[in-house]
Amino acid sequence: MNQASPAPRLRLSLTWLGLMPFAVFVLLFLLLPTMHIVIGAFQTRDGSFTLQNILDLNSGTIPSSYWVSIKISATSAALGCLIGFGMASAVVFGAVPRWIRSPLMTFSGVASNFAGVPLAFAFLATFGPVGLVTLFLRQNFGIVLQRDLGFNILSFWGLTVTYLFFQIPLMILIITPALEGLRREWREAAQVLGATTLQYWRMVALPILFPSLLGTFALLFANAFGAVATAIALTGSSLNIVPIQLFAQIRGDVLGNPNLGYAMAFGMIVVTAIANIVYIWLRIRAERWLK
Amino acid sequence: MSFLVLDNLQKSFGAVQVVKDFNMSIDKGEFVSFLGPSGCGKTTVLRMIAGFETPSGGTISINGKDQNRLKTNQRNIGMVFQAYALFPNMNVFDNVAFGLKVAGTPKAEIQARVKEMLALIRLEHLADRYPYQMSGGQQQRVALARALAPKPQLLLLDEPLSALDAKIRISLREEIRQIQRQLGITTVFVTHDQEEALSISDRIVVMNAGRADQIGTPSEIYNRPATRFVASFVGTLNMIDATVEDPAARTVRIGDQVIALREMPGSHKAGDPILLALRPEAGSLSSTGDSRLQGEVISSSFLGSVVRTKIAVGANAVSFDTFNAPDLTMPTPGEKVTLNFSSQDLLVVRD
Amino acid sequence: MSIGARIIGWAVLIFGLLYFFIPLGGLFEFSLKARRGVYSFDAYREVFADPQFQATFTYSVVMALVTIAIGILIVVPTAFWVRLKMPWARPYVEFVTLLPLVIPAIVIVFGYIRLYNTSSWLPLTGSVFGTNALLAFGYTTLALPYMYRAVDTGLRTIDVATLTEAAQSLGAGWFTILRRVILPNVVPAVLSGAFLTFAIVIGEFTLAALLDRPAFGPYLQRIGANKAYEPFALSVIAFAITWGCLGLIQIVSRFSKAAPSRI
Repeated sequence: MNQASPAPRLRLSLTWLGLMPFAVFVLLFLLLPTMHIVIGAFQTRDGSFTLQNILDLNSGTIPSSYWVSIKISATSAALGCLIGFGMASAVVFGAVPRWIRSPLMTFSGVASNFAGVPLAFAFLATFGPVGLVTLFLRQNFGIVLQRDLGFNILSFWGLTVTYLFFQIPLMILIITPALEGLRREWREAAQVLGATTLQYWRMVALPILFPSLLGTFALLFANAFGAVATAIALTGSSLNIVPIQLFAQIRGDVLGNPNLGYAMAFGMIVVTAIANIVYIWLRIRAERWLK
Repeated sequence: MSFLVLDNLQKSFGAVQVVKDFNMSIDKGEFVSFLGPSGCGKTTVLRMIAGFETPSGGTISINGKDQNRLKTNQRNIGMVFQAYALFPNMNVFDNVAFGLKVAGTPKAEIQARVKEMLALIRLEHLADRYPYQMSGGQQQRVALARALAPKPQLLLLDEPLSALDAKIRISLREEIRQIQRQLGITTVFVTHDQEEALSISDRIVVMNAGRADQIGTPSEIYNRPATRFVASFVGTLNMIDATVEDPAARTVRIGDQVIALREMPGSHKAGDPILLALRPEAGSLSSTGDSRLQGEVISSSFLGSVVRTKIAVGANAVSFDTFNAPDLTMPTPGEKVTLNFSSQDLLVVRD
Repeated sequence: MSIGARIIGWAVLIFGLLYFFIPLGGLFEFSLKARRGVYSFDAYREVFADPQFQATFTYSVVMALVTIAIGILIVVPTAFWVRLKMPWARPYVEFVTLLPLVIPAIVIVFGYIRLYNTSSWLPLTGSVFGTNALLAFGYTTLALPYMYRAVDTGLRTIDVATLTEAAQSLGAGWFTILRRVILPNVVPAVLSGAFLTFAIVIGEFTLAALLDRPAFGPYLQRIGANKAYEPFALSVIAFAITWGCLGLIQIVSRFSKAAPSRI
């Protein structure tokens, strides 16, 4: 016993050594920087503990920027879920030919990764003051987007509509497997027990999908909440949302207090973390059912 | 009076005809099994009865009422699926109550009926469990209760035991049969397991390539198989190729031996090939019966309660079983033996 | 499937497809309008002639390649080691690699700027080389979730333990095993991760802008604020590159499915 113990310990530490490059990298470029922000959020300039930064988040334009950010993220996530769900179910339940599935999934895989500056320009070129759709509507129907429909690409709805470009494909990517996980026997069992299609959806399919739907919503929410580049390229600084405000703060300390910047960043982590925890938790529940 | 009548039923998927001219009448309270290998069309017939598939031709009527134009949810049928198909989002109680709920049954009545059903399958204590918390056998019993709760006029069982362990399979099949008898519900049971079909059914339909090869009681199917397919699919059977020696004397030639049959189909002429079948348990080495065949032992294997010996008779290998006894001496390969049997056990089989 | 359901299905699908393709069409159309009244490639000509475009684009391409190299060096051995020696640690490692999806990029780079400033223990932002390295590490972090998932999935399709034991029995060392046995077997997976990394890095804005590096993303944004048609032409180029990369991933994964990497 006494003689045997050093050897396993040595082997164990050698095993751990194989993980070192990864551990060091993650520590230096992911965990420590994040911890620095989180700790900074609870510190004064001279390094003592305080809750003042967190309390100060409730001052000036910060609460409204959080509110606008959350509204945009929630709206684009909800619409993305709705439209993505419709498209995915059209393919899965055979309303459109089956061969569409593969190209649609490929396309969604590509488009869901597409956020950033070029996306902003694509929407400017389409719905901007001299964009393709704007001109088309004005020339053919006499409709002026901004005047008649109150739509401005540099606004809340403009940003939401732009975010949908990657939100819808992300929804399709995630919800398609869930829809395909609905077993044919469940529908047949419901039918044979006398249920109508509506009853089947209300009592069986939607309750089964509910965790997936809500979970995907949470993921889409976090996805939109952290998007910086699209927002900045599209609206410059005209729309007051958290990522834009934080960007300005990092660039030039516009809040006049670096630790308040930490607190803002910490707030972003909290919001996306909550959304992701909800996603993971619901995902686990959903998978337990669909085993 | 026939309760479920399948008349000239046909089904094609594209160019492939999976069910051909299927005719059958099932009496009220009868337990009928569709037996056959996978792809023989048995499940398709069941799915047409349930209304999941539309027949390409023919009619289905239940209790004199044509079903073709009724949707699945208007047929009042109970069905149990191979993979249980319990609703994963509902507990046992809600699963069993589902059919009653969608029919708008009053709450108190649902309560009483579900209780009654759970008592029937002896799972009252699991009413709050979710499907993923139960074993396969328990889930399938709940599925049975769910199917029976709305008092269906017909019960369809689609390989309900295939996904279960061997032990549970046997106990559950006895339980299903007992519940079926108790309720007197007309039942159609689909299976590929001949032992299952033989043990549980009033009648068996052996299906092959979309057709019913033979319809009969388990003992008819087992003892008097009508075709080579039925004979080979149900139990172990010796197939013996012979030629007709003298149609008038009902004699056939097997290798260089000539024996007499109990009866011979009229169409055979001298020299025609004829297919005979003999169950292993029908033969014996002691001199009983009115027929005998000489052969050379090829092998002899000890199977526990019986010893199975294989002998060569002409070009045929014929197996027979002897009951085990402590003083039994097993035949050795190469030994010449005489196989005795009753001529009524030697069957003529269609190809 | 009833007629009504079919019509609704098609309507939803067509709406969605229009949603994807109209902005792309709008972007392309707009990029051709530099000359009044007719379509022309003037904007593209301007863009290609701009030395800043060439400089920033080259910078981003080099960055992307460096990022891919760092990513492979870190992810492949780690994923291999975890599968082989510490399978119990897989959920934890996977959790860590998914963190960059939870922590917004802007927060991570904020941390870099404060942690590695000129007066810190590791003053990476003090020199050009240091900042470039920091940016590459930052990109590797952003790409970590995709890279790790791709490689880990690739490793799942081969029997890592058996391959390793076979190689060891033939006298191979760890480096040889990784380079000669494991890497060739996960090439399609690594390529998928690499193309995705390339697509992410080439147009990335936040990190490059806040670390003040001359990359393509910030250049695109700056041009957008100052010029009329060029940014749209640039966006078309960026789109084409990204979609090309992601298209390549599809081809690679199809290819690897057609010829499974099992030995």
